Amino acid sequence: MSIEVKLAFDVLAFISVMVLIVLGLGVIASMMGIFNFAHGEFVLLGAYTVYLFESFGLSAWAGILAAPVVLALIGLVLERLVIRRFYAAPIIAMLGTYAIGLVIREIVRGLLGGHYKSISEPIAGVFTVFGVDVSAWRTVIVLTTVCIVAGTWLFLARTSVGLQVRGSLENPNLARACGISTTRLYAFTFAFGAALAGLAGALIVPLYQLSADIGTRFLVQAFLSVMLGGVGTFEGPVLGAAAVGGMAAGLPWIVIPVLADPLVFVIALIIVKLRPQGFITQGRL
Amino acid sequence: MLSEAGTAVTAQQAGRARRPARRLLPWVEGGTLLVALVAPFALSERTDLVTLATNVMILSLLAISFDLCWGLSGIMSFGQALFFGVAGYVIALVGRDLEFSQLWATLPLAMLVGLLLAGLFAAFLLLGRKAPTTIFVALGTLTGSYAAERLVSGWQYVGAGNGLSAVKLLQLGGYEFVEGAAFYFLALIVLVLIYLGSRFIKRSQLGLVLAGMRQNEERLAFFGYRVQLFKALVFSLAGMVAGLGGALYSYHQGFIGPGNMGPGLSTTAVIYCLFGGSGTLIGPVLGTVAVEVLTYVLADIDAIKRIWPVILGLVLLAVVMFQPKGFLGLLVSDRERIGSYGRRRSGGS
Repeated sequence: MSIEVKLAFDVLAFISVMVLIVLGLGVIASMMGIFNFAHGEFVLLGAYTVYLFESFGLSAWAGILAAPVVLALIGLVLERLVIRRFYAAPIIAMLGTYAIGLVIREIVRGLLGGHYKSISEPIAGVFTVFGVDVSAWRTVIVLTTVCIVAGTWLFLARTSVGLQVRGSLENPNLARACGISTTRLYAFTFAFGAALAGLAGALIVPLYQLSADIGTRFLVQAFLSVMLGGVGTFEGPVLGAAAVGGMAAGLPWIVIPVLADPLVFVIALIIVKLRPQGFITQGRL
Repeated sequence: MLSEAGTAVTAQQAGRARRPARRLLPWVEGGTLLVALVAPFALSERTDLVTLATNVMILSLLAISFDLCWGLSGIMSFGQALFFGVAGYVIALVGRDLEFSQLWATLPLAMLVGLLLAGLFAAFLLLGRKAPTTIFVALGTLTGSYAAERLVSGWQYVGAGNGLSAVKLLQLGGYEFVEGAAFYFLALIVLVLIYLGSRFIKRSQLGLVLAGMRQNEERLAFFGYRVQLFKALVFSLAGMVAGLGGALYSYHQGFIGPGNMGPGLSTTAVIYCLFGGSGTLIGPVLGTVAVEVLTYVLADIDAIKRIWPVILGLVLLAVVMFQPKGFLGLLVSDRERIGSYGRRRSGGS
């Protein structure tokens, strides 16, 4: 019994991490049709912010709160200077964001000096449920993810800005004709996606050691999640992330770990091939 | 950059009546070949530079392979290194387990491996009832490359994370190719042959179809061309070229590792191609030369060595934003960059 509960919790915790990372990527991909290759580096910058706060002797909590703000600002600047040139050309956007990611990653690698830094969990320790030790920090991550997903959904479904976002997703030209500034919305969306990535990075850095490649390991899985769930919806990428995260965390218990990793990709790709529109059909963010 | 193809084609048709403009590209090609022929004699003092030059030749094959995909047929492949790496592994395993490395058999084997693997990928990614989105193809190739890297780095039989080292030397009869001038000329001959083949494809009627596809895929489909089949064909051929490059790399370095098939090398191929100028074939070769030589030179200077990847990223960003035709685009006109197709009509020019 206890092993099943432990497995279920591990899978749940990993799904939360995936959802947190994919949400920002999915929002950007849905709104602007850009697959942001620098997303992994936004996650890295979020993690790095927490590290900076810690090394200056400030509380890690302050770092976790600051990370989304810092990333939102960086996202805004990048959108202004670079990203907006790419809206018409998704492939060029991939190359451009890849270049941005490369620059950020290598700068951070230089700053870290190629070392791994471990960051302690702000809430350490475990507590016991059903006779199973549950890591407190992972529980915080799961709860935060639930809050973020619910909050984002409420924002999109219930506020007037959310309505504008949905409107310009469905028909940008009509939205512009109605007096909605899509340029401003796109800038806002990109900053929002970057902020989510920053928060994700800040939250997961205690689980994984901080290195320049912390974001890259999730990037391909995150892309597949968005494709799997369907671009252009809110629920799609979340569901996709749950599916990919569940497979990535669960498969190593079923098949040998060496095969599990590539198998996740193969299964996800085949599903995308068979159902290219994703789990949820387009146009319903 | 996609829209330029069409204007150049029409410009070429309109220009038929006129005297053909002076052509620069053949001079660039000839000059490169000349330099490549002379280089080993000029460098004979420095064996490390001959090794570097050989490496550049081999990586140029990868760059050409990517150019066939992106520059000629508009397939964004973020996984070109997959075919490079897998062929390299196959060659290394054949050398290790079968003790066999005869040139006349192993190089065609590597080409076959690359061709079949790429064909398989193309069949999965490109063919099917519905035409795939470009994003799906780009992410599919990226995923394939990434998954293969992860699989290989955990697989003991192929050396796991350490890769396969001490690859059996390439042989022709009793002669063994070690690093040096002989291997250099072998790589050069292979490169020239592949280059001429790719150039022929680019300038043939097939190349014209590909140019049309780049500009307006839908229209070509309405004309009755099975667009996806053409893409699959070129993608497979590109895989073949990458496979050949991978085999030579494996023999030359005496080593092949998981990193040689991952997204890292795949994106390096993208950088080579974009720097030089995609779609020109010679551009990617020159891009490879520039990037690799600069990396080699700067590796000696400590201050620059550390920020070199950052500079590379910034230059790539600048190229993507401001000079999508690559550096060769500064020199040659659009018309010449896109090229001309088929045989010239006798009364035409």
